[in-house]
Amino acid sequence: MEPIIKTEALTKRFNDFTAVDHINLEIMRGEVFGLLGPNGAGKSTAIRMLATLSEPSEGTARVAGYDIRTQAEDVRKRIGLVAEKLILYPRLSAVENLLFFGELYGLNGDQLRKRIDQLLGMVRLEAFKDVPVGGYSSGMRQRVNIIRGLLHDPDILFLDEPTTLLDPQSIRFVRDLIKELNADGKTIILTTHIMEEADELSHRIGIIDHGKIIALDTPAELKRKFGCETLQEVFLEITGRTLRDSATNKVPMRKVMGRV
Amino acid sequence: MRSRLFHNAYIALRITRKDLLDFWKAKMLLATFMIMPILLMSMFGFMFPKTGTSNPYSGKISSPYKNVPIGIVVEDGGALAFQVADQFKRIAYSTGLFEVQNFASFGSAREQIVSGNLKGVVVIPTGFTEAFASKRQAMVLITVDDTNPQMASIVYGEAASIIQMISNRLGASMITRMDSSMDPSFVSEPISVERRNLISSTTNTFQFLAPGFMALTVVTGTLSGLGAAITREKEQGTMDGVMVAPISRHSIVVGKILAQTVRGMIQGFLILGISMLFFDVRVYGSPSLMVLVMLLGVSSFAGIGIIATSIAPEQETAMMMMMLLQFPMMFLSGIIFPMDQLPNWLQAVGKLLPLYYAADGLRKIVVLNASFMQILPDIAVLVIYSIVTLGIAIPVFRKAMTR
Repeated sequence: MEPIIKTEALTKRFNDFTAVDHINLEIMRGEVFGLLGPNGAGKSTAIRMLATLSEPSEGTARVAGYDIRTQAEDVRKRIGLVAEKLILYPRLSAVENLLFFGELYGLNGDQLRKRIDQLLGMVRLEAFKDVPVGGYSSGMRQRVNIIRGLLHDPDILFLDEPTTLLDPQSIRFVRDLIKELNADGKTIILTTHIMEEADELSHRIGIIDHGKIIALDTPAELKRKFGCETLQEVFLEITGRTLRDSATNKVPMRKVMGRV
Repeated sequence: MRSRLFHNAYIALRITRKDLLDFWKAKMLLATFMIMPILLMSMFGFMFPKTGTSNPYSGKISSPYKNVPIGIVVEDGGALAFQVADQFKRIAYSTGLFEVQNFASFGSAREQIVSGNLKGVVVIPTGFTEAFASKRQAMVLITVDDTNPQMASIVYGEAASIIQMISNRLGASMITRMDSSMDPSFVSEPISVERRNLISSTTNTFQFLAPGFMALTVVTGTLSGLGAAITREKEQGTMDGVMVAPISRHSIVVGKILAQTVRGMIQGFLILGISMLFFDVRVYGSPSLMVLVMLLGVSSFAGIGIIATSIAPEQETAMMMMMLLQFPMMFLSGIIFPMDQLPNWLQAVGKLLPLYYAADGLRKIVVLNASFMQILPDIAVLVIYSIVTLGIAIPVFRKAMTR
């Protein structure tokens, strides 16, 4: 397998705080890669850099063969982003939202409408397609949010906590959808705090803490290496059991989040 | 019952405390919140001085205007016409109110009024000396800049007072030589003053206000709309969805500006429609030129709006920053009060703001049927503003969105 994402000393600093610290990582084509880490560890910052939403302070990465610094537009054509916050306009219907985002990717006319119908069918929302998404349940909104990231049929899909706040049925649906998309050949980079989800879906797991990758392997191999039965145990073993926001282990949130 | 009431009051106070604490922690919001009233009051303080100055000639308590530029045209070839013109200039000079320039014809002086260089013109028409010689009342015509009713009334009132004073002096000198052939009304008022309008109908205050309000609405609509649109999208996360698409950052900025421009233009034309329907405002100039000036007004502000909203951490701060920009502009750009009412240094500040040029251009089109060439200075300033501010705004926006 060839790497579809390759980072070279990828670094992001916010003033004197280093959120992502010289990461060297290869993610293979067709892989579901679970990027795990405690809050503030650098997962979202790393993903934002790979998705060209944040400029690296140092180092670079190649995504689908293109440099994120110098060929950002080529990178953008090949990636889909399902961020933690919903990327949907609540007053617009699902179709109106999808038409807008589809047009941003150069799709239009019947081709776009057919694609929207096909995707809405895939997440079983045809019946609600003309209702403003603000009136949807969390699960419905997340399903539209996911297909929004798939409109232009990207090679790589970034999924940032895609099942947070969903009910068990929606969680099952989204997880099965991720498997289907991967079976269709999409490379998926998944961040989640649900270890069971990462275990179920990921071919390989990378654990990031204090901006560095501190473990990288298949879920089975990680469990074997650390002698743990679950990925949750492995995660706690590696990243520690103390709360990240306790007095002895301060995470400089202001620096992480930027200006508040 | 009573304890429940106390409990509710206690909870209300806790909510108040939390809201104020939350506000206290938003430092940028707090700063704009404090600056706003200070700025407003200091501005009004300069706009409306606590004491007026008395005009020794008209006896009126006049406004603090000084050296208002007006023209004088002597169409009559008689010696008396030149004497009256000389006296007018001397008195005007000694009061310090007017700075009088000579013009060869009414046409050339009118041109200067339309261009905004003169506030009025006094014409001593042909037949002035002859009327006087034949012991008939002689007439002086005063034309003022109708785009600014307040200034127009002051210029007309003061210029007419000076003519009246010259007329009284002439009348007094004639009383001793009065004979039965003389008309007493001629002796009591040998010179009469008439107002000649620059445009065919009478003007009203709305004629001044409507174009200014149009410019203001379009500009403030764009500013606050942009503020809300960009920061809201940043907060709700949709901006990431737009930024991650393979599109130029320029398209995002221009798209956002255009959406707000359409909204602003709709509001601007609603103001014009209402003014025309209910307040007898007439548009003498070209509608397409009006659209051009409004578009340039919007583009000159869009850059400022993008910069402010890009750096604002959240929607409330962005809105406050927009208000901080809008309110002083409203008063400093001659939208509600004529700019001449401001002290010179505040006028200079007002003239740094693009809204002044948008309002000035629109007013000249609406009231004086000004041509493209006549408002070229306004247009040039707006174009320069647009290029410079948008040139700064686009990289600032890109930087802020990819932090």
